[in-house]
Amino acid sequence: MKTLNFSFATKLTFDDYVHDHSFALRIIPPDTESQKILSCSLNLYPSVITKQTVDAFGNNVTAGYIQGDHRFLDFDIKGIAEVDSSKHSTFLMPCYRYQSKYTVPSEALIKFQNELKEKYDGNAFDKAVYYSDILSEIIEYKKGVTTTATTAAEAFDLRAGVCQDFSHILISLLRMDGIPARYVAGLAFCDGETHSWVEYWTGDHWEGFDPANNCPVNDDYLVISTGRDFRDCAIDRGVMFGRYTQQLQLVRSVLS
Amino acid sequence: MTQQNIEQFTKPIGNANEINELLRRYGVKFGIYKNGVFNEQFFPFDPIPRVISSEDFKSIEKGLVQRVNALNEFLFDIYHDKKIVKDGIIPENFIYISKGYLAQCEGITPKNRIYSHISGIDLVQAKDGEWYILEDNLRIPSGASYPLIARELTRIAAPDAFSENEIIDNRNYAKLLKETMDYANCGGISAILTPGRYNAAYFEHSYLAEHTGSVLVQNDELFVEDNILYHRTYSGGKTRIGVLYRRIADEYLDPLNFLPESLIGIPNLMEAYRSGNVGIINAPGNGVADDKGIYYFVPKMIKYYLGEEPILKNAPTYLPFYEEDMKYVMDNLGKLVIKDVAEAGGYGVVFGSDLTMEKLEEFRQTIIAEPRRFIAQEVIDFLDLPILDNGETVMRKADLRAFVLSGETTKVWASGLTRFSRNPDSFVVNSSQGGGFKDTWVLKK
Repeated sequence: MKTLNFSFATKLTFDDYVHDHSFALRIIPPDTESQKILSCSLNLYPSVITKQTVDAFGNNVTAGYIQGDHRFLDFDIKGIAEVDSSKHSTFLMPCYRYQSKYTVPSEALIKFQNELKEKYDGNAFDKAVYYSDILSEIIEYKKGVTTTATTAAEAFDLRAGVCQDFSHILISLLRMDGIPARYVAGLAFCDGETHSWVEYWTGDHWEGFDPANNCPVNDDYLVISTGRDFRDCAIDRGVMFGRYTQQLQLVRSVLS
Repeated sequence: MTQQNIEQFTKPIGNANEINELLRRYGVKFGIYKNGVFNEQFFPFDPIPRVISSEDFKSIEKGLVQRVNALNEFLFDIYHDKKIVKDGIIPENFIYISKGYLAQCEGITPKNRIYSHISGIDLVQAKDGEWYILEDNLRIPSGASYPLIARELTRIAAPDAFSENEIIDNRNYAKLLKETMDYANCGGISAILTPGRYNAAYFEHSYLAEHTGSVLVQNDELFVEDNILYHRTYSGGKTRIGVLYRRIADEYLDPLNFLPESLIGIPNLMEAYRSGNVGIINAPGNGVADDKGIYYFVPKMIKYYLGEEPILKNAPTYLPFYEEDMKYVMDNLGKLVIKDVAEAGGYGVVFGSDLTMEKLEEFRQTIIAEPRRFIAQEVIDFLDLPILDNGETVMRKADLRAFVLSGETTKVWASGLTRFSRNPDSFVVNSSQGGGFKDTWVLKK
């Protein structure tokens, strides 16, 4: 068990005024079997009233609406969590057994999985380790070649990507093997931004594995949200009106 | 009422040209996209009514109430405990690979546990008089306004027909709908959300708004603040909406929860809904229950949830997913009708008898490759109804879309939309395939 101080800040800047801006943030870490949130505060600028709900996947959703003109949206969270990765969640939603939008395999990915399957057999843990080992050999960790819209199949074709892409490919491989798997967005020591990893179902509980670093998850990982793939875990999503063409996003996270 | 007495109703009511002219003037149309081009089409009205005896209607009514109640139980179960899957009645993958299943709706309980407030159930009557269910429509079944306005106009064109015959007045649809909307209301005004005038059913949206006293709205007039849905008023104020009868599909409903590229949705509507601050008619996620692959299991649901024998029969259906059914389908493909579970509106329906030997073999391989994608049904020899074609009475295939409204109790509207095929060789009656419609009379005794 470990006590973590966490903080996370994002600054969204638009290059012109926007209005009627609806947003949904998934940034407040949930209480789970393996983590207890001792304190957590959220600050938003411009100041706006928000409401909290818990979505279908157990994530905290902070929803808000800014009617008037504004050029930026900043938010930050700060808090303390107690993490114990030896404890596990035991609730399985059946949808995690099936491929989702970002993980639907291409023919190349199916072929790849079939070849691996012939060479290796084992339980869910062995499979996750084995697949991750192979991925760390053939997929290059590289920033800027993929986006948040890149699917597992596309990243596999590129043989490159960031943590999100590693997660999607591993989830796709595990699900093809009949092993339920889910996407996790969170904070980890090894990263200055938000991180992503995978949880797989052992048959009676969830275990975490970090394919981008090719290692099991330990007490240095704080879960912010989980879902079928990135789509369910976006840190911030928004719809706004205005003439803006671009937004700039700066993210900074600290875990200590 | 005997069959002979019913057969006296083969006379046209009023003058078809006069009524069709009135319909045209009232703008009773439906829109259709073909090859990317939007067209508004006139939905032709046939003046010979379809008549259903009181006795027939009573049995249909009981069967439909039973079916819709079971489907509502099923939807609650699927988005909560999933007992029907755990008990092995429905294979798990039929639920989770259905496009209509929305994981985002897990754990949400709509007010009064009603998911399908307005159900459009398609039936046909076979030549032996038996009624069969063809399809359940639990998302946004359309079409109720056509028989409504046709009845209004025929009453103007031929008032005698309604004073001489004992016909149940069907003009209560709006009242039933209003009761249903009020029962789902979480506090606030009622609104009908339309994607706009280029939608296939825009006529119906405006008609129903007017007749239920609801505000007809488009998404840019709505916003969610503090997880409450508001209507922006002209004076710059806001009015809370308690129930939203939305006429847009689930995936476009909320860009922050479903398709992010949707321009016709309302951001954070799902958060307001999840918080119990607004009712949505029909509930998002209903598509899992009207999936053509799930249809097969509805009689089993009735037994499972209600402990009753199904009153209305399904058309005999086979799932190639099951080995035994696959064998039957392979041996009898030439006489079956095959439906692609992902398609709607009469698309993706193939009659084995229409295919050449070569095409049949090709199709056989498609089914073997993707067994979950198709269902196969026996072709029901359904009753022909008389229609007027250039002054002559001819017989054509027709179905009935019955409307079932679930509020404090489940009620069947004593009318419905009878659609017929213009083409004498066609069994497909969907309006998007060029058919017409009739008034549907339910007799008082």
